[in-house]
Amino acid sequence: MPDVSVVVIVYNDAERLTAAVQSVLDQTLRGVEVVIVDDYSQDGSYAVAQGLEAAHPGRVRAFRLPENSGGCGAPRNHGIRQATGTYVMFLDSDDVLERNACRNMLAAAERTGSDLVSGMCVRVHLDDRWHRTTEWYPWIYSRTRTLESITEYPDLLVYDTLSTNKCYRRAFLLEQGLEFPVGIHYEDLLFSAQAYVAARRITLIPNHVYFWNVVEKASSKSISNRRHEIANFVHRMEIHRRVDELLAANGHTALKTAKDTKFLKHDLVLHLRDLPLLSDAYRREFARLANGYLAGIDPAAYENVNHLQAICAYLLGKEDWDNLLPAADAMANKGRLSSPLAERDGRVYWCAEHLDDAEGRRILDVTDQGFHTTPVSALRLGNRLTSYADDGRGTITLSGAVVNPLGRIAPGAGLKASLEFRARRQIGVRSFSFPVATVRHAGDSIEWTATADIGSTVRPLGIIDAVWDVRLKLTAGRDRITTRVSVGGVDLENAARLRVRPRLTRLVSDRFAPEMTRKGNLSYVLTAQGAAAVRTRTLIDSAMHGRTAGVVKRSLRRALKARRNLGSGEQKVKVYHEVFSKLPVRKGTVVFESHMGKQYSDSPKAIYEELVRQGAPFEAIWSYAGARPTGFPPEATLVKRWSWPYLRALARAEYWVDNQGFPLALAKRPGTTYIQTWHGSALKRMGFHEPRTKAQGKEGQARFQAAVDRFDHFLIRSEHDARTLAKAFRLRDEVLLRTGYPRNDALVAAQREEAQSGERVRGPLATELDIDPDKRVLLYAPTFRAGADGAVEGFEFPFDVEEFADRLGDRFTLLVRTHYLNSVSLPPSVAGRVIDVSRYHDITPLLALADALITDYSSVMFDYAVLDRPMLFFAYDYERYATDIRGTYFDLKEKAPGPVVATADELLQALAAFDEADAKYAEARQRFLTEFGEYDRGDAARQIVAKFFTRSGK
Amino acid sequence: MSQQSGGAPGGRDIFLVSNSVDELGGVTTWSHQMARLFSERGHRVQVIGITPVAEELRQRLPQELPYGTTTLYDAHPPQARALHGIKGRLNAPERRRQASRRAGMRARAEKLSELFRAARPGAVVIVTQVWAMEWVALADTKGLTVIGMSHESYEASHKSSRAARVRRHYREVDRLLVLTEEDADLWIRAGMENVASMPNPLPFMPDSPAPRTGKVVASIGRLSFEKGLDLLLDAWADVAPRHPDWVLRIYGAGAEEPVLRAHCASLGLSDSVEWRGSTDDVLGALREASVFAQASRAEGFPITLLEAMAAGLAVAAFDCAPGVREIVTHGEDGLLARLGNTMELAAHLDALMSDRGLRDRLGDTGFRRVRRYSSAEITDRWEALMAFLER
Repeated sequence: MPDVSVVVIVYNDAERLTAAVQSVLDQTLRGVEVVIVDDYSQDGSYAVAQGLEAAHPGRVRAFRLPENSGGCGAPRNHGIRQATGTYVMFLDSDDVLERNACRNMLAAAERTGSDLVSGMCVRVHLDDRWHRTTEWYPWIYSRTRTLESITEYPDLLVYDTLSTNKCYRRAFLLEQGLEFPVGIHYEDLLFSAQAYVAARRITLIPNHVYFWNVVEKASSKSISNRRHEIANFVHRMEIHRRVDELLAANGHTALKTAKDTKFLKHDLVLHLRDLPLLSDAYRREFARLANGYLAGIDPAAYENVNHLQAICAYLLGKEDWDNLLPAADAMANKGRLSSPLAERDGRVYWCAEHLDDAEGRRILDVTDQGFHTTPVSALRLGNRLTSYADDGRGTITLSGAVVNPLGRIAPGAGLKASLEFRARRQIGVRSFSFPVATVRHAGDSIEWTATADIGSTVRPLGIIDAVWDVRLKLTAGRDRITTRVSVGGVDLENAARLRVRPRLTRLVSDRFAPEMTRKGNLSYVLTAQGAAAVRTRTLIDSAMHGRTAGVVKRSLRRALKARRNLGSGEQKVKVYHEVFSKLPVRKGTVVFESHMGKQYSDSPKAIYEELVRQGAPFEAIWSYAGARPTGFPPEATLVKRWSWPYLRALARAEYWVDNQGFPLALAKRPGTTYIQTWHGSALKRMGFHEPRTKAQGKEGQARFQAAVDRFDHFLIRSEHDARTLAKAFRLRDEVLLRTGYPRNDALVAAQREEAQSGERVRGPLATELDIDPDKRVLLYAPTFRAGADGAVEGFEFPFDVEEFADRLGDRFTLLVRTHYLNSVSLPPSVAGRVIDVSRYHDITPLLALADALITDYSSVMFDYAVLDRPMLFFAYDYERYATDIRGTYFDLKEKAPGPVVATADELLQALAAFDEADAKYAEARQRFLTEFGEYDRGDAARQIVAKFFTRSGK
Repeated sequence: MSQQSGGAPGGRDIFLVSNSVDELGGVTTWSHQMARLFSERGHRVQVIGITPVAEELRQRLPQELPYGTTTLYDAHPPQARALHGIKGRLNAPERRRQASRRAGMRARAEKLSELFRAARPGAVVIVTQVWAMEWVALADTKGLTVIGMSHESYEASHKSSRAARVRRHYREVDRLLVLTEEDADLWIRAGMENVASMPNPLPFMPDSPAPRTGKVVASIGRLSFEKGLDLLLDAWADVAPRHPDWVLRIYGAGAEEPVLRAHCASLGLSDSVEWRGSTDDVLGALREASVFAQASRAEGFPITLLEAMAAGLAVAAFDCAPGVREIVTHGEDGLLARLGNTMELAAHLDALMSDRGLRDRLGDTGFRRVRRYSSAEITDRWEALMAFLER
């Protein structure tokens, strides 16, 4: 008896059958038999099968159904009945098995005793020049695992619905009476669901086992082809219904919820993408079928999908096509905002309709997306094509509408636009721009019309740059917005292919055809239409694959790589060391940087301002990160971080002043003095005390050591810093400057003034923020959180900010400042009561303004202590934070000079009774300040300036 | 089906091919241990080395071996050097040297082929190191089962040139064996489809666990950066003050010793740390201790950790490799800390030193559980694998 029977089914595929069968005969496992079942083919398939049987007696057997069944179910069922092996696998005549598939499946099955072993399927794209492959749900198969029941891993049933990448114990199939359904498409979905549910043990192996050959013809995208799909959709819904029945009969509610989630996330998207192109009749029929099914979906499934997926399902349920189509466009293009939105009662909604319905309000609420606070230029606005016309030769006239969300582009804003054609593969920068003749404000959209003579203006190379994308570049007031143009319902099938003149002449390609990309956007593809062009095209295609072409392509790639490398970090570091660092040091130059150029703030700013105040002779160079510097002093020279001028400035500077670290790769020359101000006392372990650093290899540690060895001076504000930071960076004692932090000089001054006069004076910042003088100011300044992999997590309020505003908004104004690695978006409803102040680079004036501080573990607590004002610690995730991999230097709960609360409720209660509770912490605050800020005496910046810049001879 | 299910009666012909027969190191120890175990099961074993090694790198082997050994070269063959581009093409002397190297390889491979051809049906070639595979690949292995091995973690392979050579030279072998299932999965995801895992067998299996009465934490291993003794000392600095009656005994020698001793002194630990040098009596050393600590930055399938558990000690280690996770289940038969987190390792040591009950529970469980790596179990698995590969 063979170990494995492989059932190979075939219908009119004589050509490929042999390869499929051969992939079984070539298996490394020898005990394998082939059972070919021909579904009554009209070509020579059965003859080929018989030939294989004759050539491999005892290993191959061929069968033929008496009539065509029209599907895969009947022949596979016949194969199961004919199989004799201990295990059964299925193979389609156009696919092949990986050479070790049977051996790996059998080994896993015998090791675990599983009824079912499943391995990874690989899709091979035959129409791709390189036969590109993609793994089918690789995350399911990331490791070997054995399940006692499918309920342990619902995603397996939900996502991997194939029957062919699996090995079934034959006795299991027979005992359970498992068969494929006949007379319906998508039979795999039901069969595999049945098998998963019935199996007593399932083993997954990460091996590639099955190569699924795929041909995606361009023609299959056309509308006429799509129209047949309603029939497929009927089949699909029917299969889904049967799977649901099976799950219900077995009481698998968790599996059903997981499956419903996937339906909302993936299946629905697939169909929605094409809706703009299809007729009303199709849409109505589609909605009838889909909504019938959606009605049975577990409401809990909506909790697991993103806002757009839920919105699409909801709007489909309402058959609200006007709002659904933009939502579907946004779903296909991640991050696109394609709806004008609506604001009601301080919340932001996807559309103005359905808001009288409670469920609609819940699902359509997109306040948390922050569309109302994100700068307009950072939004990816939808831009729908409304008409397309051409002259049949080379000139097109396009009209479209860019979404104007919440009217954020004001009617008075100056509008200007251009239409850009850009080669998708950039060899050099290749783009052509056309002015847009009319752009006008039309309420919730910006309408535009442009005429472009593409035929004589756009000059593609002809080969290599075959695909060109279309973008609209819109300037509204001072905002610059770039949008892709989505085709929407505009018919491109009847549009003319434009005549073009490639640089490599019309012999290469002669037409430019408008096309819709997979995500629904407008693009143009170069094609050959004239006889000459078609001929050369064939010639080129064959030449592109030859040996000579290989050499040319390799050299071209190498040349392009060399050009890219010229601006790469590696090259820059080399030039920095070998060229710039050889130039003489320029006396009196100081390069300042705060938080890797992200801000103009902190102690470097305080030192800079002290230098300016004293009129010290020096030349200031400030480093900035990002596209454009905002908020930096205009009189200083600004250099972009990692730019050539930045590297030149660093190499030749007399002083480096920074609070975090100039690029580790840049060595400091002996003639330069590095004043490292650092940016806060430490609660979390740092440097060589961090497990991450300890775990590093020798070279990594040596590199880090070299980087911190660059510090000539390191500012500390207490002996706590000397015990923690200085040891963590292995600094010699003479490097430490016990001056305190220059950034805190202002706080010390504010505290002294207040103590003397007995009154707290609010500065210009209070006016700027329009703060009610009768309300107390709270500053909420949490630190960031990182996941296990070290990636920074997005900021989410750990309490309900609207509840805060409602309960305490009449007594307090809450300022919210996120860590500079995070950002926040507040709902419009809390305006005036809660203010986002994250955009202020420098936190010091905010600290001085705040009557009390709420933080968690941010080092801002050490600085705020200088002011001797109330502090509240909202440590809702203390366990997680304190026990995560990094560890802390001390237990915050022991030393906190204020109440430590764990829940949002406790927080609001503590705030309500703030003053009474705070009195008892006065002493603890003094202790805290002595331990962590003893050197902050208000003259740090003056000491630094005196020591390095003004004392003669230095 | 574990006992001699295939091959000729009286066992199989098994060839164990390594870089050399007696090079100092784990692979040689493993080869001779397996050769002895296979011989005891009635298989005919031949241990083959490609080249001889220098005297100072030679491992002492028993006088009488119950199996034969062969070395293909009389002296080490010249190094292979990759020649690139036109410059390489014009380097005539080097090209001549390499041509003669290749000819030498073919001649040695022919020697292998002769041995293989003389084998009876069902014979198996086990290649323990990928370098040796370059010769086996040139030999005639028709009718034989070829098993390749990589005796290190996936990560360690990928930090050296060996990963690429494993991929190239082991692609066509009947099975590539790595140390753990987790490493096997990683190799499979990297595109090798013929991979399985096989753990190393325990060198000894005492009848009873250590008394665990000595207030001693033991560490055994080479004194190299990789073994993380500096991290162990950092952790010890956290716990030692709380347990003044305990000592940390460090067995092993190595290049880092002076640096480590200085680090130890700077942490003020000179009184509670004993430097014992290398030992021949591992079991004896372990039985004097109650707790075993391992702070390695990288490991494959750490035999010393296994030995400590076989001796019945409670173990605490960094979870630095799949091999460690495979041997120790945290909280059941040992305690694992995240790599580099010396505070966590210190907390584990503290728990084991403070809590006699915990020490006994983990130690006893480990003592029982490591029997899955007993030489009998592992030899059974080998025989089952050789039979499976014939199907």
